[in-house]
Amino acid sequence: MLIGVKYCGGCNPRFDRGKAFQAIKEQAHDDIEFKVAEEGVEYDYLLVIGGCSNCCASYCQYNVKNGTLFVWDGETHVDKTIDNIHKMMK
Amino acid sequence: MTLMTGAQYIESLRKLNTKVYLFGEEVKNWVDHPMIRPSINCLALTYDLAQDPQYVDLMTAKSNLTGNTVNRFSHLHQSTADLVKKVKMQRLLGQKTASCFQRCVGMDAFNAMFSTTYEMDKKHGTQYHDRFKKYVTYIQDNDLVVDGAMTDPKGDRGVSPSQQRDPDLFLRIVEKRADGIVVRGAKCHQTGSINSHEHLIMPTQAMTEADKSYAVSFAIQSDVPGLFMVYGRQSCDTRKLEKDADVDLGNKQFGGQEALVVFDDVFIPNDRVFMCEEYDFSGMLVERFAGYHRQSYGGCKVGVGDVIIGAAALAADYNGAQKASHIKDKLIEMTHLNETLYCCGIACSAEGYATEAGNYQIDLLLANVCKQNVTRFPYEIVRLAEDIAGGLMVTMPSEQDFKSDLKVGQSGKSIGEWCNKFFAAAPGVTTENRMRVLRFLENICLGSSAVGYRTESMHGAGSPQAQRIMIARQGNIAQKKELAKVLAGIKE
Repeated sequence: MLIGVKYCGGCNPRFDRGKAFQAIKEQAHDDIEFKVAEEGVEYDYLLVIGGCSNCCASYCQYNVKNGTLFVWDGETHVDKTIDNIHKMMK
Repeated sequence: MTLMTGAQYIESLRKLNTKVYLFGEEVKNWVDHPMIRPSINCLALTYDLAQDPQYVDLMTAKSNLTGNTVNRFSHLHQSTADLVKKVKMQRLLGQKTASCFQRCVGMDAFNAMFSTTYEMDKKHGTQYHDRFKKYVTYIQDNDLVVDGAMTDPKGDRGVSPSQQRDPDLFLRIVEKRADGIVVRGAKCHQTGSINSHEHLIMPTQAMTEADKSYAVSFAIQSDVPGLFMVYGRQSCDTRKLEKDADVDLGNKQFGGQEALVVFDDVFIPNDRVFMCEEYDFSGMLVERFAGYHRQSYGGCKVGVGDVIIGAAALAADYNGAQKASHIKDKLIEMTHLNETLYCCGIACSAEGYATEAGNYQIDLLLANVCKQNVTRFPYEIVRLAEDIAGGLMVTMPSEQDFKSDLKVGQSGKSIGEWCNKFFAAAPGVTTENRMRVLRFLENICLGSSAVGYRTESMHGAGSPQAQRIMIARQGNIAQKKELAKVLAGIKE
């Protein structure tokens, strides 16, 4: 499974977005590949990581087959996102 | 060409033959000069963050001219979302540098020139807009830094440019040739001018027909014959020349820069001229550039404010005063003031509109309110920061004293040991860290970075009265009177 990763621009993040992504990546199954999202590449899912509830990252330009996951809370969204990813794999 | 890295940007400066003078002498290697380099580091960061996936969304945009990804600093805003992202990018860079990062003036000039040249061509049948589009494409494709330069020396403020005793006190056209124009004069307080590959010149105020030779806009490379810069010194700037200076600088890595840019009969080829005596558009250009730049301050100064608030909170921790209710309240007040500035920056962006040329302009009233607040709130923020920090911020011995092993007194202790003994505070906090945060605050409250955070907040993008004039023009008092009449039952 290929997941594209897109960060918001990080103007005033309420949590460390890089650390949150690392936590997701480390707990995800080995057969999930995360790549920084690029236009023209097809992703199974897109993971959008925003530093606050506005989660303003632009992401409509990416080619995504199955859906987009949003993380904008460092405390509650990380575990939930991992669960969601694993559920989607089934 | 792809976007440059910070290192590539710095190397590109070395290839320029920019003439820089400081302390009465030419500085040949200005790129590595300890007083200048921190400002170059700020600009380098505008390149490096544009390569980092965590910041790309703010730092880059898709060009409406080429479809290519460009640094947002050379982008023509295509929506209110673009205007909002501009402010967010500026907050980000303020947070990362605690300095003026200098690249906003070019971005604001591009956007003001783009819409003004379109409307100028429409009225006068000139060909400036296409020329300007080609110029912006060149800047985007080569990822260059441009100093958007507006402020003339202005001489006697009581008379117009053409009535000055010295006609050069406003930059002007002194010769028109078949292939271009020759200009003479200067631009003052030019942010990042030495670090810019190019200069984009605009008139400083609305002009009349009598002043038409002063209604001139053009772009020029920074190292052409006749163009030179005299570096503007800053409070405590020579600390940067001290051997192994570190802690006492407060912010060793980053800083701002302003210079006097002199045009001593500089030739400008026609393809780089974007206004030539169309005096009836100089006011529009000034108003639009100022509007964008007043919006900018709702981002950049907020980012710097974030760092000041953090430093003040750290100082309180290190002093052991973090639990005091008045300290907490002062940090709340600083946050309230800082976020109010951000609200203004976001609001004037969200209320923006499309110009006839298609790029987006901010709401002028809200942008002027934004900047008017910026002339006040940073002063209160640094006042509170100084309050929290304590007087040690300005009375502390030097870094060399803290490190000195010279034995003094009668008990065999060194100067360093005495300093570390008497300047210890909260348990677990080193005197060095306490010294570092206090020096950081000193630098930004009254040292070299105060140029950017305090006086630039007052006068940059126009002094307070300039915003009040715009607020008066845009305030719509007549409509407010009608509202009152209706509710008060007044029929006239």
